[in-house]
Amino acid sequence: MNRTLSTLWQTMRTDWRALALWGLSFAILAQVLMMIALMVRFQDVPNYVEFYDWFGNVFWIIQSTPSWGDIPPIIAEEWLIEIGFMNYDYGMGISEWSLNVIPSRMVVLFGLGALVGLCRTLARSNTCSLEERRGLTAATGVGTVLVSMTNATMSWVVCCAAPSWVVGLAMLGLGVSTSLAIQDLGPLISGSGFAVLGTLALYLSWTKSRGLRMNGVASHA
Amino acid sequence: MTMIPKFGLPILALGLTSLAASVSAETIPIAIGHQSMCTDTYTAGIVIKELGLLEKYLPTDGDYADVEYDISWADYSSGGPITNQMLANKLNFGVMGDYPLIVNGAKFQETESLRTLYVAGTGYNLKGSGNAIVVPVDSDIYSITELEGMEVSTPVGSAAWGMLLKAMADNGIATDQYVLKNQSPAVGAANIAAGKIDAHSDFCPWSEIMEFRETGRKIYDGSETGVPYLHGVVVREDFAQEYPEVVTAFVMAVYEAGDWIREDPMRAVTMMEGWTGVEKEVLYLYFSVGGHLTLDPTIKPEWTEALKFNHGVLVQEVSVPPLDFDAWITEDYVKAAYEALGEDYEAEKAIAVDPAVANAGLPLEIWHAREGILTFDDAPSFLAAMAEIQMEASKVNATYVYDVDTGLKLFGKTAFWVQSGDDFTTFLRKGEAEEFAAANGGTLIEFEDAILGFMPTEG
Repeated sequence: MNRTLSTLWQTMRTDWRALALWGLSFAILAQVLMMIALMVRFQDVPNYVEFYDWFGNVFWIIQSTPSWGDIPPIIAEEWLIEIGFMNYDYGMGISEWSLNVIPSRMVVLFGLGALVGLCRTLARSNTCSLEERRGLTAATGVGTVLVSMTNATMSWVVCCAAPSWVVGLAMLGLGVSTSLAIQDLGPLISGSGFAVLGTLALYLSWTKSRGLRMNGVASHA
Repeated sequence: MTMIPKFGLPILALGLTSLAASVSAETIPIAIGHQSMCTDTYTAGIVIKELGLLEKYLPTDGDYADVEYDISWADYSSGGPITNQMLANKLNFGVMGDYPLIVNGAKFQETESLRTLYVAGTGYNLKGSGNAIVVPVDSDIYSITELEGMEVSTPVGSAAWGMLLKAMADNGIATDQYVLKNQSPAVGAANIAAGKIDAHSDFCPWSEIMEFRETGRKIYDGSETGVPYLHGVVVREDFAQEYPEVVTAFVMAVYEAGDWIREDPMRAVTMMEGWTGVEKEVLYLYFSVGGHLTLDPTIKPEWTEALKFNHGVLVQEVSVPPLDFDAWITEDYVKAAYEALGEDYEAEKAIAVDPAVANAGLPLEIWHAREGILTFDDAPSFLAAMAEIQMEASKVNATYVYDVDTGLKLFGKTAFWVQSGDDFTTFLRKGEAEEFAAANGGTLIEFEDAILGFMPTEG
C-alpha cells in the first residue's frame, strides 16, 4: 500500500502542472457545456451578464455570521458571474434561464478534472488490453458524470421555494418525480463519483508500482 | 502656565462636539428583497420603494437621533434567491409568498446561529385565488378532471405547485395519472401561447396575464382548494433585535401602502404598471374592490394553519427542514405598528374577507380608456353601455364581472355568459355555466353576442 501511495504522490508531484491544467480546463469546459446545453434547450442566446463581488461578499459573510459552522454552506452558494436570458415580454424583464458561475462548484469541478487527469497520466504509463482499456474509460466516465451532474449550476424561476442542483437537470428535461426523488442524494452521488475515480487512481497506481505489464498496447482511460 | 485665549474655548467646545457627533453617528443599512413580478408582495415592496414610505416612518429621535439610513432595494423573480441573500446578510428584509416564506424560516432554523422572523403579512386571498391552472385559449379542455393523462407544467416548489398537487388529488387524479413538468412562469406562459403544453399552473399574476393577452384560459382557480394564499415579510432576527423600531417602521409603511392602494385603485395600478411593467388591467383584478387580494398586514391564526399545511407538503415532496412556527412567527412588530398608527390590530385581525360573501352584489365595471372606471349595478345596463361604447368606437381597457359561484373577479371577455330571459349570469368555468343554463332555461353565449343583443337595430 505504501508503494502504491508513494507512486501516486510521485506522479502528482511530477505532473502537478498538467493536473492543474486538467482541473482548470474541466472547470471551464463544464461551464461552456452547460451554456451550450441551455442555448440548445431554450433556442436563445444569453442577453445579459452580471458580475458579483465574490471576495467582498465572502468577507462580509465571514464578518457577519456568528457561527463558523454556518459560514461554509452560505459561501458555497455565492455567485461570481450570472449569464442568462432576460425575457422582456413580461414586466420589466424576467430572467428566463441563467448559468451561474459559482466558485465553490468550480473548485469541485477543478478537483474532478485533476483526478481525471491523474487517472489518465497513470493509465498512460501502463499497458492494458482493449477490455481493460474500455473498463477504465467507462469507470472514468461514470465518475465524471456523477460528480458533474451534481454540480450543475443552471437555474430558472422554477426554484421558487427550494433551489437545488436538480433544477439544472429539470431544465434539460428530467422528470419532476425523478428529480425530486434524487434531490437529497446529491452528496451521495457526488461522493460516489469521486470514490470511483479515487479507486481507479489507486488501482492504476498499484499496477504501476508493481510494474505489472498488462497485455495490449499502451493506452489511457 | 498656558492660557487658553477666551475666544478659543468655544472653538474647542465646538470641535469636541463635532468629534462626538461623528463618533456617535451611525449609518444603518436597510436592504430589502422584493418581487416586482409578484402582485401580492407589492405593499411591502414596490409601493413602499417608489412612494418613499419607509423613509417617512423610520425613527429619527432617541437612539436614532444621529443615525443615517442607507436603504437599498433588490428585485428578484422568486423568493428562493431572496432567502440565499438573507443568509449571506446582504438583505435584512424579504418579501415573498407562502411556500418560499416557509423555506426561508426552515433554512434559517437549520443553521446554528441565524434565524428569521415572520413579522407581517402583505395580503391574502382566503380561499386561495391567485394560483390557477390555465390551458391554451383554443384548448377543448374546460375542467380539471379532463387533465388525466395530460401534460401539466408548474414552477415546482411554488405555491402554484402545491395548489396543483392538492387540486389534482381533490379531483381524484393521482400523480401517476398525469405528466408533471417543471417549468418557470415565463416558459410556461410561452408554451401555453404556443399550445405546446396541455395546461400550466402558476402563481399571481401569471394566469391573469395569459387571460388578458388572450393566450390562455383559466380552468381552475386556487380558491377551489380552500387553502388561503398569502404573502408576507420576513426579517433577520439579529437585525430585528438590534433595530426593532426600524422593523416596526417597515410594517407601518406596509400598512400605509395598503391604504394608498385602497384610496384610489385605478391610480394605484396605473402607477404600479409604470413601476413593474405588469399590465394595469391585470393589476386591477388584484387590487380593486372585489379583487383577488385583501391587503392586510395582520397575522391571523388561519395563516399559521395554512403555513403549517404548506410546510407538510414541502416536507413530503422536497424534504424541507423542520420549522418551529412559534419561534418564527411574531406579532410584536405588527402590533407595535398598529399602535403607533392608532389602528385597532385585534379588530382587523378578526376580519377575514371571503370573496364569495364580500363580492356578492358588487357592481360590474368597464375601464373606459378615456373616462376611467364606470360601474353598473346589473348586467343589462353593463352590456348596454358596452354596446354604446362599441357604437362610438371608443376604447375599453378591460371589463370586470364576477363568478356567481365563488365571487371571483373575472375579465368580462373571459367569463362564460348565460342568458336567461332578460337576466345574465357570469361564470369562471364552462361546466358550471352549462349546468346553470340547463337548470334555468338559459343559453350559454359569448360576451360579444351578449353585447350584440343591446345594439340598437336600424329602422
